[in-house]
This record gives sequence, C-alpha cells and structure tokens, in this order.
Amino acid sequence: MTFTRRASEIAIGILPIALVIALWHAIAASGIAPAVLLPPPGAVFARLIEQAGSRQFLDNAAVTLYRLFAGFSIAVVVGVTLGVAATGSKAVEGIVKPLVRVLAPLPKVALYPAMILMLGFDDASKIALVVADAVFPILLATYQGTSAVDNKLVWSARAAGCTPRRALFTVVLMAALPSVLTGCRIGLIISCIVVFLAEMITSTDGLGYLLVRAGRNFETVDMFVPLISISILGLTLNAAFNALRKWLLRGFAEES
Amino acid sequence: MISIERLSKAFDTARGTSHLALSDISLDVAGGEFVSILGPSGCGKSTLLYIVGGFVPPSSGAVRVQGAAVTGPGPDRGPVFQEFALFPWKTVLGNVMYGLLEQGAPKKIAEDRARALIEMVHLKGYENFYPKELSGGMKQRVAIARTLAYGPSILLMDEPFGALDAHTRTGMQHELLEIWERDRKTVLFVTHSVEEAVFLSDRVVVLTRSPGRIKEISRIDLPRPRRRAELLVDRRYQDYVVAIEKLMDDPAEVRA
Ligand SMILES: Nc1ncnc2c1ncn2[C@@H]1O[C@H](COP(=O)(O)OP(=O)(O)O)[C@@H](O)[C@H]1O
Ligand SMILES: [Mg+2]
Repeated sequence: MTFTRRASEIAIGILPIALVIALWHAIAASGIAPAVLLPPPGAVFARLIEQAGSRQFLDNAAVTLYRLFAGFSIAVVVGVTLGVAATGSKAVEGIVKPLVRVLAPLPKVALYPAMILMLGFDDASKIALVVADAVFPILLATYQGTSAVDNKLVWSARAAGCTPRRALFTVVLMAALPSVLTGCRIGLIISCIVVFLAEMITSTDGLGYLLVRAGRNFETVDMFVPLISISILGLTLNAAFNALRKWLLRGFAEES
Repeated sequence: MISIERLSKAFDTARGTSHLALSDISLDVAGGEFVSILGPSGCGKSTLLYIVGGFVPPSSGAVRVQGAAVTGPGPDRGPVFQEFALFPWKTVLGNVMYGLLEQGAPKKIAEDRARALIEMVHLKGYENFYPKELSGGMKQRVAIARTLAYGPSILLMDEPFGALDAHTRTGMQHELLEIWERDRKTVLFVTHSVEEAVFLSDRVVVLTRSPGRIKEISRIDLPRPRRRAELLVDRRYQDYVVAIEKLMDDPAEVRA
C-alpha cells in the first residue's frame, strides 16, 4: 500500500514536468518559434548529457554548487541563531525585530553592486547576495516557531536541571524544528534562484555565467543547458532536503 | 517541607490593567504528605503550582522548600502537566533518560535507570516509540517516569489525569498511589475532581473563585493503602466527597 502510494506520489510529481517538456516539444516542432530561438528539448538534453562529461561544464557547475551551499549554510546558521536568540532575549529581540522589519522587504539585488565593490567579483559577493536573500525567511520562521513553543516543555527541562540558555537550543529550537525547517526549505529554494541570478549579473564562471555567455553568442542550445541543470539541481536538493526533514521530524505529529 | 507564605500573584493583562489571580495563600505541606488543591476553573490552581515550581515568580509572599526560598526551578520539584509536555523529538527512552543526563549521570547508568522506570510505569516494550505513537494514558506514564527519573522529593502535578478517559484515569490514580506509598514523595496535586482529591489525599485544599484564596482545608482520615472499590462503599469516603462538593457549590466567598 505504501509502495503504490509512493509510486503515485512520484507520478504526480513527474507529471507536470513531463507536460512542460511535451509542450516545449510541441511548440518547437510546430515551428511557431524558430529552432534557432527555441531548440527542441531533445537537442537540449542530448547536449546536456554530452556536457555532463565535460570538465569545463562540471567545473562551472561545481562553482555554482559551492556558492549555493556556502550562502545557504551561512544563512541557516545566522538565521537560526538570531531567531532563537530573539526568542530567548528581550534585548536581542529589541535589536533584531526592527532591523528585520526594515531589511526584509528590501530588494537585496539592489545591494549587489555595493557587495561587488566591497567583496570583489569572486565568490564572496555571490555568497553574500545568497545569504542576504535566504536569511530572512529562515530567521522569521525560526523566530515565529520558537516563540510559539509551549512553556511547559521548557519548564520540564528546567526542572530537570537544564540552564535557560541550554534549554534555548536543546529544547526551544528542537520543539520549533518543523517551523525552522519550513523556513530553511524556502531559504534553499531562494538560494538556488539567487546564486544563478548573481552569476548572470556579473561573473566569469558558474552555470549562470554559462547561460549569459551562450546567450551573447546566440548559442541557444547551450543557453538552455545551464537552465535545465539548475532546475535539476533545485529538484534534487529539494528532494534531499525533504528526506532529511522527514527523518528529523519523525517524532513530530504528521503535517505536510 | 513546602511552606507557602502569604502568596499573591497579579498578572498584567493585555488591556494594561492588573488581574489578581491568587490572593494571600498560606499553606504548609509536610514531607511525604499528599495534598490536593481543588477549585473552580480559573481560580489560580495552576498558577500556584507554577510558583511553587519556580517557573513563575510571585507578586508578593514567598515559597520555601526545606527552609530555602524558591527562586527558580530545581530538580527537587518535579512537575507533571495535564498536557504531558513530552519532548516530541525524543523516544520514550530518550524522554525518561533526559533528566538523568541533565543531572550528569553517565549514559549507561541513565539508560539502565530509565529502563527500570519505564518498566515500573508498565511501558516495557515501548522504549523506542515516539510520544505521538502512544495513547494519552501512556503519554502521562512517560511524563511521570521522566519526572521521577531525576529523583525529585516533591511532585507538582497539574491535573495530570484531566485529559484521560474515566477508566484510564482511575487506573492511573491507583498507580500513582502505589508509587507514592513506595517512596513517600511530597505531592501537590491540582485537580477539579472532588472524588479524585478525596481518594488520593491526606488533605484537600479548596480555593475560592478567582482571585483564589484558601476557602477551607479538609483532612481526609481514610485508611491506606486505599482501594477505590472499597472506598466507594465506605460511608466516610462518601461523606467527605459530599461535604467538599457542597463547599465548592457554596456561593458565599470567604472574606480575607
Ligand atoms: N500568563 C498569564 N498572563 C495573564 N493572566 C494569566 C496568566 N496565567 C494565568 N492567568 C490568569 O490567572 C487566573 C488563574 O489561572 P490558572 O492558574 O490557570 O487557573 P486554574 O488552573 O485554576 O484554572 C486566570 O484568570 C487566568 O486568566
Ligand atoms: Mg489549570
């Protein structure tokens, strides 16, 4: 029973992707869009498989992956720490809350030129942009989740001899894990988008750079390869994250 | 053992006014005594227990435990809550081991002691279950074992059986008395069931409607060990229940 359910879940997950590819193929085949502008999916996937073996492509993919993970990891550490600290201390809350209110709605891309000037064209400025965009959903989810934790969980720990600060990370954060992980998942998706965006704006390597370079040279097939790669990357990371989340939340009441 | 001296508690409400929850409570509880606190909903029973636990500070007055003023939670006072407040990310074994590990016990010793406690509360075989996989009665047994694990000399029980069905409830009352007969902990037990209070207690403290004051303290002179089936047909038990029921119905409030 669980097997058929699992199988149907996968089918439902794949169906929309298959539809998009089918639509893409139909448009390309119909000739509405000239093949030089919209290459058929077959050509793109063939090129992707070919590229997947090339050193240069893999190096660029690795660069993107590194920036993505570095940015996302920093965002998780900073967001979770600040979110928990804001719940645990009125003083931190007093600083973090107004800061978030001002910074969260700001379009972070607007800060990107400044980041480039400060951090250079290399990895650091891209990672900084990823952090800037991914940190807020993680921070907000952590803060909301931790401030909604039932006092009695903390009291149960405190009576057993746990100090308030220890309880903050071993009890409050753990109890808020479902909410924290939801924030992290949103942060991960944002990280995927933003790392690509940063590389497209200005870069000399990475998947985003490959796309822009191919576009400039009017190599449409090569333009679609990084796009498909980042999509596959996003889907894979999301699936991996969900598996991790399911395992971490195995004791928590079922929720989607 | 516990000495509550002229305790009052006022809460600041959302409307900026002050709400008096407890007024001028004085009560001495001897070591090994089982004292129940009865009163209408909202009269401050939980608040009183939280103050004794050191989870909530009093507005005026003081609580002393063996002569020392209570300033915060401590492993000498173990709480048991109506909502169980188990750690959802820990298994039954993990929950019961928690306090021992916090107290610095080596892992092996903590595990052995936790397993013995789990057996004592009749949950052998459920060590690796998560709380969500247990029934209400089983959850509360885990919560009691988790609290007993770090060896508090005082148990603070806030309507521990309030969320359980009638059958489970009477079973748990017997089990609690068995545990209490064995190691004679001091118990402060909040309930709104008169029968439960009379069945379990040496003394029953009846509080007035909000703000809670002590209305009357009744000594329950029934032989121990007590068996529910025997007590139900015991005239003295019935008289206690009727007298306290009457007291709780009485609209006339005691003037301070
Ligand atoms: N944290 C709080 N903030 C404000 N008011 C509270 C708080 N906790 C309890 N109260 C108020 O104090 C009174 C007593 O509450 P409680 O101790 O929970 O009563 P009981 O356990 O007897 O039902 C109630 O009127 C309740 O609204
Ligand atoms: Mg209550």
